[in-house]
Amino acid sequence: MSAAQVRSRPKKGSPRVHPLIYVAAIAITIFMLMPLWLIFIAAFSTQADVYSFPKSFVPVHFSTDTMQFFLNSPGVLPAARRSLTVGIGTLILALAIGTPAGYALARFRFPGSNLITLVILTTRSFPVLVLSIPLAVSFLTWGLYDTQQGVSLVHTAMALPTTVLITSAVFFGVPADLEEAALTLGCTKVGAFRRVALPMALPGLAAAALLTFLLSWNEVFAATILTLLNRTLPAQILNSLDGAPLTYQFAGGFMLVVPSMVFIFLIRRYLVSSWGAVTK
Amino acid sequence: MVHRRWLSWWAVTALTMLILGPWATVASSQSSQAHAHASALTLVTTQFQPITEFADFQSILASSPAPTKAVYLDAGTLTTQLTAQEQTHNVKISVIAGLHGDFPPFVAQGFLQDLTPLLKSLKSRAFPASIVKLSQYGSKTKHYYIPWMQATYVMAINKKALKYLPKGASINSLTYDQLIAWGKAMMKGTGSPKIGLPAGPTGLLARFVQGYLLPSYTHANVTQFKSAAAAKMWQKVKDLWAVTNPQSASYNFMQDPLQSGEVWVAWDHVARLINAATAQPNNFILVPAPIGPKGRGYLIVLGGMAIPKGAPDVKAAEKAITFLTTPYAQINTLDKLAFFPATGVKIPKVLPAGIRLEANAVSAQAQSKVSVPSLLPIGLGGQGGAYSKIYTDTFNRIVLNGDNIQSVLNDEGSQLQGILTQTGAACWLPDPPSHGPCHVK
Repeated sequence: MSAAQVRSRPKKGSPRVHPLIYVAAIAITIFMLMPLWLIFIAAFSTQADVYSFPKSFVPVHFSTDTMQFFLNSPGVLPAARRSLTVGIGTLILALAIGTPAGYALARFRFPGSNLITLVILTTRSFPVLVLSIPLAVSFLTWGLYDTQQGVSLVHTAMALPTTVLITSAVFFGVPADLEEAALTLGCTKVGAFRRVALPMALPGLAAAALLTFLLSWNEVFAATILTLLNRTLPAQILNSLDGAPLTYQFAGGFMLVVPSMVFIFLIRRYLVSSWGAVTK
Repeated sequence: MVHRRWLSWWAVTALTMLILGPWATVASSQSSQAHAHASALTLVTTQFQPITEFADFQSILASSPAPTKAVYLDAGTLTTQLTAQEQTHNVKISVIAGLHGDFPPFVAQGFLQDLTPLLKSLKSRAFPASIVKLSQYGSKTKHYYIPWMQATYVMAINKKALKYLPKGASINSLTYDQLIAWGKAMMKGTGSPKIGLPAGPTGLLARFVQGYLLPSYTHANVTQFKSAAAAKMWQKVKDLWAVTNPQSASYNFMQDPLQSGEVWVAWDHVARLINAATAQPNNFILVPAPIGPKGRGYLIVLGGMAIPKGAPDVKAAEKAITFLTTPYAQINTLDKLAFFPATGVKIPKVLPAGIRLEANAVSAQAQSKVSVPSLLPIGLGGQGGAYSKIYTDTFNRIVLNGDNIQSVLNDEGSQLQGILTQTGAACWLPDPPSHGPCHVK
């Protein structure tokens, strides 16, 4: 399996790792995790503890007060629900369009395939800010303004480059020989894809799906421009974060960070394998 | 060949989804939006970003006879959204509640309705004439917003200072000359200078020069920067500084030295005086800023409510605006959000004494016949800091360093012109309106 090969490669080739590298790795990890840890303990402390000074590095009183205060703040729960809907919509749309594109880029050599990869990437370098008024105008004309479907569409457009590149990397890692073997054994092209390529690519596709979902979950700008009453969670929270009580800020930060952390934890193996496969 | 057919199958599916997807959603979104409009109107505000303040604002709106859903948008997002909505003639916003400086781009593009009839029907609210004039943005007959709320800068006075007040001077109509004489008397009587100014690193001294001193002496804050009247004013500022506590160079918020008794008479933003007034309401009085040869220059932070052209429910929007100008809403805005009434409403005795003190000073300042209202700079964009630095630098060079007044004014004046030309900012009140960038004469 390509995933296993990629993961085992450093072990085989490299000499013994210098202990200082471990020290550096641990230091960097602590540096990255410290704010998350502080957010976490603050989000699950009593409101009084959140305001106390100096702050403690271990949770003193475990409590769901702070989280409850946040979740009961006006507009938070509906916004979270909308974020979920938008995220899932984005995931479905982006995979439906991105998977075939990724498959085509990985499997077929056709004139201009490199150019297409490049063009897909350049869309990422285009600032959405410049597009804000035309985007809002178009969505108003189409009746998509202030709807979850509309935000899903924009998020899909923003996520597609990533989705296409990841899925193409995933399919690149699935040996074409196996599909050809299936063809010689009587499968149709579609059948070979469905029975051979797809099951092998599934973990990687799941990773791509989750990454797409996260992109939508964390996206603020388009959601702010294209919604008014039906805001997604980041648009809702970021609008009201400045000057909000500390408890609200910590609980809000926690709500935004946690899904990302959980998903990244779940998909990290696939991320390494799929990105690793690109370099093969 | 097989590959191609397979590819085209996907392409057709994707295209179909792209084309049909929006249509499928149009029907559902339109029906849900129609429903939303029937139930509540949308009020967008650029104020009360902190969630607790926003909740207070919503609790005030809850009593409105027209059900209102409030949304906070920063000024930039509001501009984007309203521009798009006006361009498509598909306006979703019924009321915009913002600061005076938020509206000029909308007025310039003709996005706002003329609210003169509504203003006439609200005659009993007794909006100060100076504020109503501002809502015209230079137009002869049109009024683009209904005054909503205001904040400003006033003077706080320790009652111990009153016995040194010069003969014939009244604290509600003090002149700058009388202020200097008062300072001299206090210094002589107590042995230490008792006037304080917020000239510290984050103090608002620049606003004192821009909105109070210059308009009081020149009836302008930009165009007369280098004039003889301005030079005369700076001479007075030097006299004032001579009787001002030298610690002023470190004061940022005047409420602290006032509470400690270090100074007795001080000028600052109401929010930076309120603690002294609430902590010791019996020891302090708050009064309007002093008067100069051209009148009483004062800065207003003014909020107004506008209705965009093509708003979905104009009748309900007018009802909501009418409600927010009622004494009930105005007093609650003052009590809960510390913004002062923009109407002639009487401040009730039940409010905290400190807020009552401030409210009386604010209303005395706005209603005064000699008032020369100034606005915060409009159209400077990111150059607001550089603009204010010119006034602080001028103060430092003339008053603290003792440099030649006219040469400093010429020097700083050309820098001021540089900023105005670069940003293309037209003159704002109290300077006369200009076509193109404002010019320092």
